Amino acid sequence: MLEGGKISSRQAIFLMVSMVLPTAFLFMAAVIAHLAKQDGWISLLLAVLVALLIAWLVVSLSLRFPGQTIFQFVEVILGRWPGKVVAFLYIWWLIHVNAEILRQFGSFMVSAFMPETPIIVFEILVMVIAAYAVRNGLEVFTRANEILLPIILVMVFIINILLIPELNLKRLLPVYIDNGAVSIIKGAIIPSVWFGEIVVMAVLIPYLNKAKEAYRVAASATLITGSILIFSYVNSMALYGPEAADGWIFPSLNKVRMVNIANFLERLEALIMFVWVAGGMVKISIFYWAAVLGSAQWLELKDYKPLVLPVGVIILALSIMAHESILGLYTFLATSALPFWIVFQACIPLLLLIAAMLRGPRKTRH
Amino acid sequence: MRFIKFIRRGMSGRRKSDSGQQDNGSKNQKKENLTANQEPRNQDLSSDLQTNLRQIRAILSECSDVIYREFDFAQDERIKLALVYLDGMVDKTRVSDQIMHSLMLDAPLVEQGEEFTRTRVFAIIKKRLLPIQQIEETNNLDQVIDAVLAGDAVLLADGCACAVINDAKGWESRSIEESQTELVVRGPREAFVETLRVNTSLIRRKIKNPNLKIEAMKLGQITKTDIAIVYIKGIVSEQVVTEVKERLNRINIDSILETGYIEELVEDNPLSPFCTVLHTERPDKVAAQLLEGRVAILVDGTPYVLTVPLLFVEAIQSPEDYYERPMFSSAMRLLRWFSMIISLLAPSLYIAIITFHHEMLPTALLLSLAAQRETVPFPAFVETFMMEFVFEILREAGIRLPRQVGQAVSIVGALVIGQAAVQAGLVAAGTVILVALTGIASFTFCYYASTSIRLLRFPIMVLAGTLGLYGVICGVLAILVHLATLRSFGVPYLSPLAPLNTGGLKDVAVRMPWWTMLRRPRLVGMVNPQRVARGLKPAPPPARGKR
Amino acid sequence: MKKLLSCLLLLIFMAGILSGCWSRKELSELAIVLGAGIDRTPDGQVMLTLQLAKPSTITGGWGGGARGIEPSAWVVSGTGKTVLDAQKRLATRISRSIYWAHSAILVFGEEAARYGIRRYIDFFLRSPYSRETMWIMVTNGEAKDILEAYSEMENTSAQDIANLARSRTGYSVNLKDFTIMLANQGTNPIASRIDLIDYSINSGGLTRAKSVMQKGAILTGTAVFHDETLAGFLDESETQGLLWLRGETLKGIISVSSLTEPGKEMSINIIRGATEVQPQYDGESVWFDVKIVIEGDLWEQQSGEEIMERQVRKAIEEEMAGEVEDKVRLALEKVQGEYKVDILNFGESFHRKYPKVWPKLKDSWDEVFAGSGVNITVEAHLRRSGLETKRTSEKE
Repeated sequence: MLEGGKISSRQAIFLMVSMVLPTAFLFMAAVIAHLAKQDGWISLLLAVLVALLIAWLVVSLSLRFPGQTIFQFVEVILGRWPGKVVAFLYIWWLIHVNAEILRQFGSFMVSAFMPETPIIVFEILVMVIAAYAVRNGLEVFTRANEILLPIILVMVFIINILLIPELNLKRLLPVYIDNGAVSIIKGAIIPSVWFGEIVVMAVLIPYLNKAKEAYRVAASATLITGSILIFSYVNSMALYGPEAADGWIFPSLNKVRMVNIANFLERLEALIMFVWVAGGMVKISIFYWAAVLGSAQWLELKDYKPLVLPVGVIILALSIMAHESILGLYTFLATSALPFWIVFQACIPLLLLIAAMLRGPRKTRH
Repeated sequence: MRFIKFIRRGMSGRRKSDSGQQDNGSKNQKKENLTANQEPRNQDLSSDLQTNLRQIRAILSECSDVIYREFDFAQDERIKLALVYLDGMVDKTRVSDQIMHSLMLDAPLVEQGEEFTRTRVFAIIKKRLLPIQQIEETNNLDQVIDAVLAGDAVLLADGCACAVINDAKGWESRSIEESQTELVVRGPREAFVETLRVNTSLIRRKIKNPNLKIEAMKLGQITKTDIAIVYIKGIVSEQVVTEVKERLNRINIDSILETGYIEELVEDNPLSPFCTVLHTERPDKVAAQLLEGRVAILVDGTPYVLTVPLLFVEAIQSPEDYYERPMFSSAMRLLRWFSMIISLLAPSLYIAIITFHHEMLPTALLLSLAAQRETVPFPAFVETFMMEFVFEILREAGIRLPRQVGQAVSIVGALVIGQAAVQAGLVAAGTVILVALTGIASFTFCYYASTSIRLLRFPIMVLAGTLGLYGVICGVLAILVHLATLRSFGVPYLSPLAPLNTGGLKDVAVRMPWWTMLRRPRLVGMVNPQRVARGLKPAPPPARGKR
Repeated sequence: MKKLLSCLLLLIFMAGILSGCWSRKELSELAIVLGAGIDRTPDGQVMLTLQLAKPSTITGGWGGGARGIEPSAWVVSGTGKTVLDAQKRLATRISRSIYWAHSAILVFGEEAARYGIRRYIDFFLRSPYSRETMWIMVTNGEAKDILEAYSEMENTSAQDIANLARSRTGYSVNLKDFTIMLANQGTNPIASRIDLIDYSINSGGLTRAKSVMQKGAILTGTAVFHDETLAGFLDESETQGLLWLRGETLKGIISVSSLTEPGKEMSINIIRGATEVQPQYDGESVWFDVKIVIEGDLWEQQSGEEIMERQVRKAIEEEMAGEVEDKVRLALEKVQGEYKVDILNFGESFHRKYPKVWPKLKDSWDEVFAGSGVNITVEAHLRRSGLETKRTSEKE
């Protein structure tokens, strides 16, 4: 068997939360604030709903083909060669997303903490650790994540709680009237795309202990991530107000800098660096693993270990070449990412589901 | 179950490749040499006493401590007997009083009309004339030699192609003392000694249950060390026992001097800095491990006993935790977790913050540190690295100090390195404090874990010196991922943290009272999970109406 | 495979160490900026003044610096087209790297503030090193002088001023709040005002031989901005009124005259309070109902009134209310009448209550504000009286 690991539902939930949370926690507030200002939390609610739909779509599709990842059942649905093409597109999408994540990761570290260090140093180090984790299989980074995610969540929680003295909830008013439905919906688009990364579950479901619980896993993960992000967003808004929050690239970082309890608990940026590095590493590992596994299945190899290094190098190179500056990255994420990624996250699964339903009865066994 | 299957596959894989490699090594040559000497030995005794003695003398030639005592049987001087034993390994009084006295002086209790013939003499001797507590009969020369070398006295008789091995072992060995390395305030103070039988007796005294099985084997081609595998049947998982036995049987080495040899040859992850096999000197700890469903491996000649499987979280568990009150133990546990983090990360965090992340210090502290560092010529990284290195030197030297020199050297350590270096301006006072704290913190938790952590401190310091806090975090993540890959005999090393087992968490960060720890650690004791009955929380009886 | 990975790792680590760590700075390589000042030179350039710490003179455990004689900070100034440009010029004079993360205050000279403050603060918001917790101050004169001032209590004047701001005796604004006020259309920014005061220091140890005149810093009120330009200043009483109107930091001491013994005063320590602003709009005109509730303790009584009697207490409470209302009206007059800027967040309150009307009014809000009526009601409560009921030193 290509991947011998099996993970429990709880581990899968943790994994899926880790998949969306780190980058979103850091980048999301700025992007939404630009469009929806103080009503961004409504946008996030909408995004969660959309994400639940996408999750339902992906899980239904995967459960029709138990034991097979998307790379395998797409061949079953569409036939060998068209299936191979689609599978290749998915592999490429996973690699691209990972390159974007890696670039975001490096950009944050460089912009916020150590501007003189070249970005590739940060990226190489995290890729090495991710490669080590991926090489050892699914269970390894799942277990590491099981320990890291609670710590990350506690830190996020602490950061947001410690800011309560500085908050002014009135800054969230007036609701809705200022911006109007159009802005709110526009603000919901980007988070939906981020939440939509849950489509990676299509690669993960065969390795769940109890595949039937996949619906629960996807829904729980989306709801948990959504609530944490809404909480964090409300916090940012109450701290900065709609106009000022717009300008920052990393509102969460600035937020942490404002924490000052009794003149003693201050200067806590290390917390957010840990959240970002640990969460980023797990997220990169997941996509990396999915890409490597997909490549191995696509090439019909017996073991995916030899592919870890080449795929890693590709991701690394792509992350450097894809954008010239952080502003280019930001623009990409805010504009072009949407149509590009939504194809993979929603359109193709939808088409595949329809094709699968047309093709034959449910639960085709192999 | 599937975890163990997984590792078994890995095991058999290794075996296949090993049979090609290991036998080609230098060990092979030793083995060949040994077999060259041993081959003629695999034969039986002859009926002639002198032939036997000659053969034994030939094999044990130049062994001046082998005593050959020939004497006549008390009842019939035609029957010649000989006793072969190693001087120094036998209990002399036992040999002379129990074996020789009865054979040379006592009247046998024989019925009328029976005669002592050569053929029957051994049967009678065995049954009536050897008031010694353990005997074994054999007709194999190999076994005779092994027995002599093990410290038994072997009785040979003329006319009988067999020998009686009498257990007369009695050599000088250390008495049961307090453990030097694993100390507790409350709890038993006994520690294992170098004799296997005494050690097994210490365990038996704690667990008086017929299900406590002690299986014996010998390992080491030349040393033929006695090994005992101990487990409690019904609690332990049979697969683990089988796996242990398989791995032990695979060992093909010339000597086993300490459990460390076995540990290295048997562990799942030989290249990892972390121990996946526990070694301990305390019988109560071993007994507790056995009761949780683990297997213990005892080796003759060393007081350290191995137990498998091992979990990472056991590094902060001390036997004392289970004897003291839970609230106090929980506080101590949390302290130990914290110490572990300090011992791993404190110097790195210091380097990272004062070299890269000055914004994290409060202004007043920053200015004070800046004032200190104005005088120091080295960069923070070099200074801290140097001090840690010196501390390791001091620590290593401290273990091997002869007692007479101890006083002088500790003064050197404290005064010279601590005080004088600071005053000379070579190191900052803050660095000395930090290094001392790190060192002390590493003693709060189990030694086997503290060695790993001490080792890992240095790479993380390097990472901190090059990339600041990011390097530290990456180092920690790398260690975490590495820990996640480790398994100990099929059990994931990081359980019960990951895979998460909430029941097992009762014993990790805190020590919940005994009346709450109803189940054994899940993946280890899954065969027989329940260990404490429900509803045991003590409460005083309800107040009665009249007194 | 393992060998390959370990080689790779080794290379990476070596690369990290050998090529030099890029962001490394030893503590002794830092020029720690404690406070900064921005002035505008007559020819339109930015003059950046930095107060740098001299750690060796600050007590580091082995011996203290001599205060009063040797300054424990070094003040340098440089000019340039932008703040960063000026910093670059300064770097040629300062032997270490300029490190912003501990800068506690940012002082603007009057010229710079009148010219427009937005262009100057961008650097401090954008740079990852400077923090948004810096206190913003405006001075009547040149910022340079403030930074060169002397402090008796603290080591450096920047720390002194920062502590003054932190104790919130006046209105303290940090960079984050200032930026929010600047970005918000419903309000205008304010900042603390800081000035110099003369006092003489006795130095020379026991003999007190020398007597040196030094200038120290003092908080004297608030600076009022119209969007980004300085409109004017409020003095201390007006500042107190301002604070009560804004509903922030309602602590302070107010003194009321005694009712029975003229010429004598009572001082009441305000513990807490709340302000509620209700905007009202009837289609044409805008007015605001302001309700202020304060609670105080009587801490000093020069006269001998019997505060045990309820009428006396009621009278005192009315006096308190009156005093507060006076101060508030003073502030309001200045703000509405003279400066005509809304620094009271009234715009935001209006926005929240009448969001549909707001887009119409927001562009000319300051004029609307200047013309709107404000009804003030103050409710004062006297809760405690320290440890005495009547003056214990009173003769029976």
